[in-house]
Amino acid sequence: MGDNKRRFVIPGEVITTGPYRPEQNVILEGKKIIATKVGISEIYDDSVKVIPLTGKYIPKSEDLVIGKIISHSSLSWEADINSCYVGMLPGSDVFGRNFQPDTDEMTSKLKKGDLIAARIVNFDRSRDPLITIADRELGKIDSGELVKISPSKVPRLIGKQGTMIQAIEMATHATITIGQNGLVVVACENPDGLLKAKKAIQMIDEQAHMANLTDKVKAMLESNSV
Amino acid sequence: MTSTFVIDQLKRNKINDLLEKGQRYDGRRFDEPRPLVIETGVIPKADGSARVRLGDTEVVTGIKIQPDRPFPDMGDKGIFICTAEILPLAHPTAEPGPPGEDVIELARVVDRGIRESGMVDLSQLVLEKDKTVIGIFADNSVTDHDGNLFDACSCASTAAILTCKIPKWEMINDKPTLVEGQKSDPPITTIPVAVTMARIGDYILVDPNADEWACMDARITITTNSNGNICALQKGGDDGFTPEQIIQCSEIAISVGAKIRQKIEQLRQGR
Repeated sequence: MGDNKRRFVIPGEVITTGPYRPEQNVILEGKKIIATKVGISEIYDDSVKVIPLTGKYIPKSEDLVIGKIISHSSLSWEADINSCYVGMLPGSDVFGRNFQPDTDEMTSKLKKGDLIAARIVNFDRSRDPLITIADRELGKIDSGELVKISPSKVPRLIGKQGTMIQAIEMATHATITIGQNGLVVVACENPDGLLKAKKAIQMIDEQAHMANLTDKVKAMLESNSV
Repeated sequence: MTSTFVIDQLKRNKINDLLEKGQRYDGRRFDEPRPLVIETGVIPKADGSARVRLGDTEVVTGIKIQPDRPFPDMGDKGIFICTAEILPLAHPTAEPGPPGEDVIELARVVDRGIRESGMVDLSQLVLEKDKTVIGIFADNSVTDHDGNLFDACSCASTAAILTCKIPKWEMINDKPTLVEGQKSDPPITTIPVAVTMARIGDYILVDPNADEWACMDARITITTNSNGNICALQKGGDDGFTPEQIIQCSEIAISVGAKIRQKIEQLRQGR
């Protein structure tokens, strides 16, 4: 990918004309490929997409998200997943197939304010996304601290093949759970490590558009570790 | 609207853990309010205005002064009315529409603090007894919500009233007529300062932010006047205070209030 192919675009701007496949945040009109969001356009061999600079989280099937329980009915919990949609967690997901709404007490498992690591099971924009916590590494989060970043910067926090997040985890010995919705839980036994990991995450959120970010973060992590 | 804000359990635990170590989540002392910034004259078309930032809470207050009919039982006094509104841009959970219970309470607590302190000598605002008086209307708009709107709105209203200019009216043919170009300072007698404290467990915290607000057991807003006397008080929240805690809160309200009052006093001198 050449440097000239990557540039800053605003909605309505024609990115290119040609035989490309439109991907995220672009539309094809006639032969023109037009951006629908503010962001950086990227042209690959056969496709064009725009990486947004900002924006709300739009749920996608199979995404790992961090949710906060905000209420429940007798059948399901509602989780705030930092989106314009509310995550629906059915009771049967937690209680199992023998879930009985009249006898099983919902609050015995999850209360208002509890944080969960969940996966989006199903979402089609016409109904609220269905989420699940029935899997390994999913479920209630009991320790750590919640950090909020812009959902559009999550890929930057993870880095190429997870390099960025590994660098932070190695340097601070923290366990970091990243939700695709921009909520991140940092757990660390050592308070200094926790602070440093949080600082690194916030730094990535603020400077996601900068080049050499991985080096900068590494420098920050090393400089304080003395 | 704040009632719909749910704080996550991890943060709640963290706040409680820190309190036991004598610390607050944002590093303040228990009796330390957030940094207060007051600007006045921010709305050129209003008769008086102020923008107050209390940490990340921001309130803009505008004062409108106009002749009105007096209240039937107070024909020899001017009118003072204070309202409040939380704008939808202030917080994700704030919605447009009729005010909720907490917003009504906010307006009433701010109104009561200023009214009961006798900040403005309303008897000097009479144009014609029982017929026409001057009304002072203070409208608070919350533009950023990070807890403790009581103190921010109270401070903004006080600052705006303190620096407002009252236009002059004369009764001509039984009707109040504006005299162009003549404005006077409001008849100020004292400066009320509201100090809100939250109780979390056994700890009393001054000026709780949104996180502390969401996990407090009870709160109390105490307004003091320039002499350090308590002139209004409002208790809220599900739980209560012990008598000792009330006395402790009163002392905090007086000492913290005195510092905030100094800041507001400076506005008057710079007027």
